[in-house]
Amino acid sequence: MRKAILRLVPPAMGSITPLNRFRRLDGSQIRAILHAVFILALMIAALATPGFLSGPALQSLLTTISFIGCVAVGMTLVTISGNILALSLGATVGASALVVIAASNRSGLAEAIPLALMFGSMVGAVQGALIGCLRANPIIVTIATSVLIYGAAQPITGNAAFYAVYPTSDSLLNARLLGMPIEFVVFVAILLICQFLLSFTVFGRNVFMVGDSFNAARAAGLRPWATIIGAYSCAGAFSAIAGIMLALRYGRASMEFGLGYDYSAIAAVLVGGTAISGGQGSAIRTFAGMMIIGIVQVVLLLQGFRQEWQYLITGVIVLGVVLLSPPAGR
Amino acid sequence: MRLLSHNQHTRPVVLLATVFACFALFDFNQGRFLSIATLTSELDTFCTIGLVALGLGATMVIGEFDLSVPGVFGMAGCIAVLSGVEHPAMGFLLAVLAGLSAGIIQGLLIHRLRLTSIGVTLGGLLITVGVAYVLTDSASIPYDNLDVALAMNDQYAGVFTSRTLMTIAVFAIVAVLASITRIGRDVVATGSDRNAALVAGVNVGGILVGIFAFSGALSAMSGALLSYSLASASPAGLSDVLVPAATAAIIGGVSLGGGTGRPLGIAAGVLTLAAFRSGFSAIGAEPWVSDITTSVALLFVSVLDAPALAGRFRRLMHLGDPADLK
Amino acid sequence: MQQSGSGAILSIRGLTKRYAGATALNNVSFTLQAGEVRAICGENGAGKSTFVKMLMGIVQPDGGIISVAGTAHEIRDALQAQSLGLGLVAQELSLAPDLSVLDNIWLGSTEVPFFHRRSSLRARAQQALATLGVGDWDLDRTVGALSIGQRQIVEIARLLARKARVLILDEPTATLSDIEIEKLMQVLRAIKARGHSIIYVSHRLGEVFELCDSVSVLRNGEHIVTKPVRELTRESLIELMLGRAFEEMYPERADASAAHHGGLRIKNLHVPGAVEDLSVTAPRGKILCFAGQLGSGATAVTRALAGLHDKATGDISIDGRTIRLGSARPILAGEVVFVTEDRAGEGIFPELPVRDNLVVSKLAICSRWGVISWRAVRKLADDLAAQVTVTCAHLGIKSGYLSGGNQQKLLFARAVGRATPAVLVMNEPTRGIDIGARAEIYRLMRRLCGEGYVLLMASSDIEEVVGMADIVVTLYRGRVVACYEGAAVRMPSILRDIANPDIPDGQVA
Repeated sequence: MRKAILRLVPPAMGSITPLNRFRRLDGSQIRAILHAVFILALMIAALATPGFLSGPALQSLLTTISFIGCVAVGMTLVTISGNILALSLGATVGASALVVIAASNRSGLAEAIPLALMFGSMVGAVQGALIGCLRANPIIVTIATSVLIYGAAQPITGNAAFYAVYPTSDSLLNARLLGMPIEFVVFVAILLICQFLLSFTVFGRNVFMVGDSFNAARAAGLRPWATIIGAYSCAGAFSAIAGIMLALRYGRASMEFGLGYDYSAIAAVLVGGTAISGGQGSAIRTFAGMMIIGIVQVVLLLQGFRQEWQYLITGVIVLGVVLLSPPAGR
Repeated sequence: MRLLSHNQHTRPVVLLATVFACFALFDFNQGRFLSIATLTSELDTFCTIGLVALGLGATMVIGEFDLSVPGVFGMAGCIAVLSGVEHPAMGFLLAVLAGLSAGIIQGLLIHRLRLTSIGVTLGGLLITVGVAYVLTDSASIPYDNLDVALAMNDQYAGVFTSRTLMTIAVFAIVAVLASITRIGRDVVATGSDRNAALVAGVNVGGILVGIFAFSGALSAMSGALLSYSLASASPAGLSDVLVPAATAAIIGGVSLGGGTGRPLGIAAGVLTLAAFRSGFSAIGAEPWVSDITTSVALLFVSVLDAPALAGRFRRLMHLGDPADLK
Repeated sequence: MQQSGSGAILSIRGLTKRYAGATALNNVSFTLQAGEVRAICGENGAGKSTFVKMLMGIVQPDGGIISVAGTAHEIRDALQAQSLGLGLVAQELSLAPDLSVLDNIWLGSTEVPFFHRRSSLRARAQQALATLGVGDWDLDRTVGALSIGQRQIVEIARLLARKARVLILDEPTATLSDIEIEKLMQVLRAIKARGHSIIYVSHRLGEVFELCDSVSVLRNGEHIVTKPVRELTRESLIELMLGRAFEEMYPERADASAAHHGGLRIKNLHVPGAVEDLSVTAPRGKILCFAGQLGSGATAVTRALAGLHDKATGDISIDGRTIRLGSARPILAGEVVFVTEDRAGEGIFPELPVRDNLVVSKLAICSRWGVISWRAVRKLADDLAAQVTVTCAHLGIKSGYLSGGNQQKLLFARAVGRATPAVLVMNEPTRGIDIGARAEIYRLMRRLCGEGYVLLMASSDIEEVVGMADIVVTLYRGRVVACYEGAAVRMPSILRDIANPDIPDGQVA
């Protein structure tokens, strides 16, 4: 039986490397200990960094992770449902931002926001239908969708940004709730909604089951295609929220907005420890992954490392976490 | 239709021929598509994407996926430009070596620790991008050895540059290796059924590491050549290569399930993609037309390959049957 | 044992393997003479496949010595086993479907030069096929286009071409149709006549008595006995394998059909390429068995009823209500429950806890507006676990860690605890399950019968069919041969039906 996405067969059945032996003792415990040590070290580094706890640094950290965080939460759903790499979510962010600005210029924000949300979830649903109903390859479908969205946006925008006619967001922009930026509050709300979906609803349990074994879900009569469409719709809607927030914050929209979000989101999902083969994970874990990456970047910045070192160290962290994850296949 | 959906080896060629015929037809004999300029620009695209597609495609043939190709591509360009001012060959060699070692490390990690390639190569992508930023201090850098840049763009026989010739040569060598040596056979066996290959005695680990090394080296080579010919390098990458390379490989008959796809098919896939790009611009269409056409073609191929397509189609036909609706 | 003078080609002393506390193989010793055909028999879980894996270097033993032709070796990998002259035809064939027959024959061989298109290799491959009586095959055909039986022959040809001295066949007939089995037997007899040694792992006794010189019986990882075939009878061999007589396993039949009305009616069921025009009625309170070998269509009938075959057509009704084929709706509505034979592939959810697996199809009961009450889930799961007698430390552990028998019980949990009795469709319900769990599953099936369920089961295990079924429908190549009920359910007639009902013995296509 071929696995639909990539076959995750262990490369060698019998090869015993020292690390395998090390892992065979009590792999999950060792990984948990290493994770804890890492997070502890990070906390100490953060607290020891002058200026970390001061307002501006933390505020800007929270704002930044909010946008990518929404996409990452959506990516978590898709990943748990067994379809790695939704590479179209970044494009969805940009396109939703365009939709919300264009629509609000025409008929006001009250109509524009639901419209953009619907747009995002529709884009997700169509991909979900191709992947869930036809079993088309998720990587190819989402890559193609992303190219399609960027392509279609070009004649519509003429490669320029859309500007809001009315200054939309002066009040929204500076709003604070409990001292936190409004974007972060929205992100936390989405995070909690997603975690609630996953833990306490039939849909959420179905996402886990479909991700663990598509064929078993089918044989149990669970309609896996509907679950996959649902997961992609949610991912699309969450990405649309990121797009809406970006558009409101900057008072404009362009396809540049979502660039690179896909990879950052996947990095957060992986660092959080959600299994790449599906069937395991949580939104809270992704939040932790997001925070780890964000804190590392802020600490590096405050410690005087330049931007380019941040990229490199984020990569090293992602790779490190991947190396700690359990071996593929069963 | 049958030709398109059932024969992985003829499909790329059929598609390529169709695309060429369509453009020639649309062109109404005005000589815009079938011109030297179009052919040159097509070969240019072929060079930029071709080698990356070949490397990425090879990882797909063994049932893996190398996400790090754009990172290696960009990093190699920066290394070549930074170190190759005095001795261009040296810079090129260093760039390829960097790509090769990135590939070997990733392959070893995937093989030894039995990890998924997506995770490891995502880490590889972020790290190589980071290295490129660190090397260049986050800035675009010009390549001062203009002689080399000019030489790279010197044309032979009207349409070929040294870059195209090198790319074509690599494709030819790989195609020959794949068809007449044990390596080609073992690669297909590894992708076709990895456990079977292992039990049969194929050195699956070696193949895995080798293919990732191959992919890294080719991406690096392509990145270095592009930087030389444009006389600049940028850590952000001079060209988005992952999406077109994956697209070209898939159009070229490589399936993500592994086991199918041949070098010449990938070449045909890259040429198809290049024909889309150059063809549309030759007949005066905006760049987005080619993007949209490419993505629709990719969606079409993915749907054609979708395992549940036939069943869905049949059920759709049956929906009209009143007995079924009860 | 017969061919004295040629000496022992393979000698095994004290072979032992432990997995995480459980002993898979304990101190197994025996000797294989050159030219001998030895059967290794044992129930599932007796340690047969672990034994084979250790011979091939896929699994490393914890203790013991393997000697080939008098020299002790530590076999580290498949390549080394190959160079020692050991060749395995595994249950999962080691052929690459995208390569040609020729490439597959030489795949992984150490003799092949870097530029591998050599006419000498081609000739030797052709010769190996000719030895097996299939010299007319096209060497350039892709293996993916061959049937399973043909692939097996390619695999044997591969071993011959590499001059394997000992051929190990692990359950080679488990997935073959009877005609292919006969063809394989011919091939194996030809190899035997040429003096090759064969280790034949199987639990199909007919083949053991037909082909083998001697039998080694494994039970719970222990080597019980090695005897020449002629000193054994079918019954005595079964008793050696089981450690007891097999009749005890099946619960008494209690006809519950009188107390219930209605049932499942199948009319004109067609599954293209698998089943033609099957009509049968299964009353509530009885077990109806589709008996047939692989390719007979028995499996396809169950999959069609479970909605997993989108080409199936026919009129299916439960208690007079029509249900739709090729749709998951009957399963969702709780009218049909499907228990698959492929537990790992489409049965359980291995990464999810036992609790989730127990309540898979009953989440709707434990939720309101799509929101789950975990209290209700826990209560229901505890209740179901007790009903199907799952044994595990607690319900929070991953179901992938359970034994095959316990995993199968999780699937049966989908059937029990329903308000109205459903149709339970089972495909090889006890494949790969230890004897204890088997008896419990049989008791559970009888209990469901008493509650008025319709039980349908496809099985190629004739003993199970005779032991459990109230009604037996025998199938051969997609067609119904006969239908037996009550006292007419007897082993000889069923065996005749599912082997060749209309072709006289010995005449094989």
